[in-house]
Amino acid sequence: MESLSFNSTQIPKQVIPQVFTINSHLLQSNFKCCRFSFNTHLHTLCSSRNLSLRIGCELKISSDGKNKPIPKKIILSDGAPSLSEDVSGNEKIPAKSRKSGMMRPFGSVPRKLLGVLSNLPLAIGEMFVIAALMALGTFIDQGEAPDFYFQKYPEDNPVFGFFTWRWVLSLGFDHMFSSPVFLGMLVLLAASLMACTYTTQIPLVKVARRWSFLHSAEAILKQEFADTLPRASVHDLGIILMGAGYEVFLKGPSLYAFKGLAGRFAPIGVHLAMLLIMVGGTLSAAGSFKGSVTVPQGLNFILGDVMNPTGFLSTPTQTFNTEVHVNRFYMDYYESGEVSQFYTDLSLFDIDGKEVLRKTISVNDPLRYGGITMYQTDWGFSALQILKDGEGPFNLAVAPLKLNGDKKLYGTFLPVGGADSPNVQGISMLARDLQSIVLYDQEGKFVGVRRPGSKLPIDINGIQIEIVDAIGSSGLFLKTDPGVPIVYGGFGTLMLTTCISFLSHSQIWALQDGTTVVIGGKTNRAKVEFPEEMNRFLDMIPEIVESSLPKQSEIINH
Amino acid sequence: MIFSIFEHILTHISFSIVSIVITIHLMSLLVDRIVELYDSSDKGIITTFFCITGFLISRWISSGHFPLSDLYESLMFLSWSFSIIHIVSKIWNHKNHLSVITAPSAIFTQGFATSGLLTELQQSAILVPALKSQWLMMHVSMMVLSYAALLCGSLLSLALLVITFRKNIEIFGKINHLLIGSSSFGFGEQCMNERNNVLRNTFFLSFRNFHRYQLIHQLDYWSYRVISLGFIFLTIGILSGAVWANEAWGAYWNWDPKETWAFITWTIFAIYLHTRTKKNLQGANSAIVASLGFLIIWICYFGVNLLGIGLHSYGSFTLTSN
Repeated sequence: MESLSFNSTQIPKQVIPQVFTINSHLLQSNFKCCRFSFNTHLHTLCSSRNLSLRIGCELKISSDGKNKPIPKKIILSDGAPSLSEDVSGNEKIPAKSRKSGMMRPFGSVPRKLLGVLSNLPLAIGEMFVIAALMALGTFIDQGEAPDFYFQKYPEDNPVFGFFTWRWVLSLGFDHMFSSPVFLGMLVLLAASLMACTYTTQIPLVKVARRWSFLHSAEAILKQEFADTLPRASVHDLGIILMGAGYEVFLKGPSLYAFKGLAGRFAPIGVHLAMLLIMVGGTLSAAGSFKGSVTVPQGLNFILGDVMNPTGFLSTPTQTFNTEVHVNRFYMDYYESGEVSQFYTDLSLFDIDGKEVLRKTISVNDPLRYGGITMYQTDWGFSALQILKDGEGPFNLAVAPLKLNGDKKLYGTFLPVGGADSPNVQGISMLARDLQSIVLYDQEGKFVGVRRPGSKLPIDINGIQIEIVDAIGSSGLFLKTDPGVPIVYGGFGTLMLTTCISFLSHSQIWALQDGTTVVIGGKTNRAKVEFPEEMNRFLDMIPEIVESSLPKQSEIINH
Repeated sequence: MIFSIFEHILTHISFSIVSIVITIHLMSLLVDRIVELYDSSDKGIITTFFCITGFLISRWISSGHFPLSDLYESLMFLSWSFSIIHIVSKIWNHKNHLSVITAPSAIFTQGFATSGLLTELQQSAILVPALKSQWLMMHVSMMVLSYAALLCGSLLSLALLVITFRKNIEIFGKINHLLIGSSSFGFGEQCMNERNNVLRNTFFLSFRNFHRYQLIHQLDYWSYRVISLGFIFLTIGILSGAVWANEAWGAYWNWDPKETWAFITWTIFAIYLHTRTKKNLQGANSAIVASLGFLIIWICYFGVNLLGIGLHSYGSFTLTSN
């Protein structure tokens, strides 16, 4: 991809025909399409583009101080890197040749915009604003009716002196996470991410991958960590470094070694992963179908009937015609009586009535079919089947009773006597779950507890009640989400690249100066451990003792 | 029953050991450093680590699920993570003083957990259906580890801010004793012993500034490394939580208060890491961001639980005053 080689001291126009004859006519035709990013021949634009790139690149590049000009030859290559010699001792290439390898020909406005967007303090400011908006979104109750906000943030007694319901409703803070303000900030952050990756990090990769030897001892001694070792050989240093996991290149008396280059690439991966997640999230928000349904045991529903689209990209598929039948709903309990897990046995039938899938789902174990996922999220009590005085079975509908907290309570009522009289009296039955029913008589006094299917009748004021079965209903949540694979890919990449970016990119140069070895090195992250590591290496280098005997290696251990 | 006795014994042992370690540190801060005691404080933290590990394992066995299902267990896990971080940082670099931060943190979290405020949570409880998943281990343990690492890093940054902005500190003379007498912070060992006697009196003033500068530099560096590590764990924790949420509740992000605050924490520490790329923002500015992060972690961990709402209500508790 980047097998470009050119000589920056010459005028590029002469170089072009040798390397990319294809593009020469593009130059004259004012290049409308710019598929190849090898349009290096934009020196007409280069000078003005110089400025915008330098704003963005300044942060990363100038770690050596000044940008001293011009190395003689720069070779960017993929695969096995070849060498380049840098007489001035500076391995930084000037801004224009660096970026001209990557930039497409833009107009001047997008270029300035790119420069503005890739500004780091702007990005930091955006992140702060997004964090503040999210915090605000947790403090203000979301999704309530406007009346709620009128009462909570009244105009005559504003919170903090100025915050009234007008702020909340006009800025969309009642649905903060889908409000234009928040989404706009996210879009801005995405734009900044893209701009920064493009202008700053990709050139940085090129610089880091390109490496050069340092040929003068002064240049080496100027590094962050530098030392001289008398009576040593640079070859021994190379062997020790190779043993420690460095990649070592030896050319004559000079040596270059590096380790942890992945740590320079990884931040790019992090940014790209975040962009991938944002794209996937947008797709999820605009292109999925969702719906919930509570189905009593034994009934069916059709997938397409219960799901609703969420955005303009949602398109239904053939699998929406599938019919789902709830064969059985049951729950497991702990010994203490708490609910341990709830299960639903589902069968899926396609449009011809053939069963295509049968599975028992539970919480944390959904059913996936044709892109649609069914989750077990809730349960309910549908009906109670009883025998009254041996007759029946009668199905009594069960209704939920309101309670504070998470616990559920269901109840039903069997009227005794005239059902038309205004004060209907009857037997009340309450249940917290499907395993036991509590019965109360006409005065509301507790009578007893029965389990469904235990075949034990109970006598309430002369009426024999036997609980046959408690029929539950399964609360299912259905969803089809095309963005999930993309988002998962983004997640995996983000996790991996975040881990890799912990690595520190260490570089070591060495020069054999007579019998002395001059060593210098630097690293970008592990600034305290690097000198210790270097000292350990230096201690391990054998000392060359001048004698007529074959060279004795005294390994100095500490 | 035997497990709960075992747990009680282990918590008491670890609590006492950590108190002894803190006492040793305080003594060496105020009095001259005693080398042998100092090494034993290292061993003390390792013993604490084993005690809390034993506690967690016995709780795992007795309750049948991974010991991270409510606030008490997560607090014990947090103090366990502090001891791990201490041990790991000792392996990384034998000479740093992270234990000054980790040991008191471990003891405070453990003390709070075992105090009377949370007695009703101390019995091991059963897991609700939504928590019965393999993801529980990965997601919650990563989050608690990340909280521990980020708290350590933020505390180091706070220490940096305190030292930068206070001119005359009485105790600084004592800290100099500590620094001069010890081969701490990566200085060459050979310098130290000479300095101990000769330089102490004559070059005290410039020495103090030099040491202060070096101390700030070291705190800055260590806070950066520890926070990077914590950031990695936080990323993995948040993302594994999202994948779990997709498996259990059908959506990988619900703008639940706890999720949102975890994301805010992530954003603040991302800002911290970005401020360190520019040389002129390093030092005090990034330390201010990290200190803000300290507050935000506590809001994320405790504050949201106090509200008790949302999908993450397993960790909620109410402060009962007896």
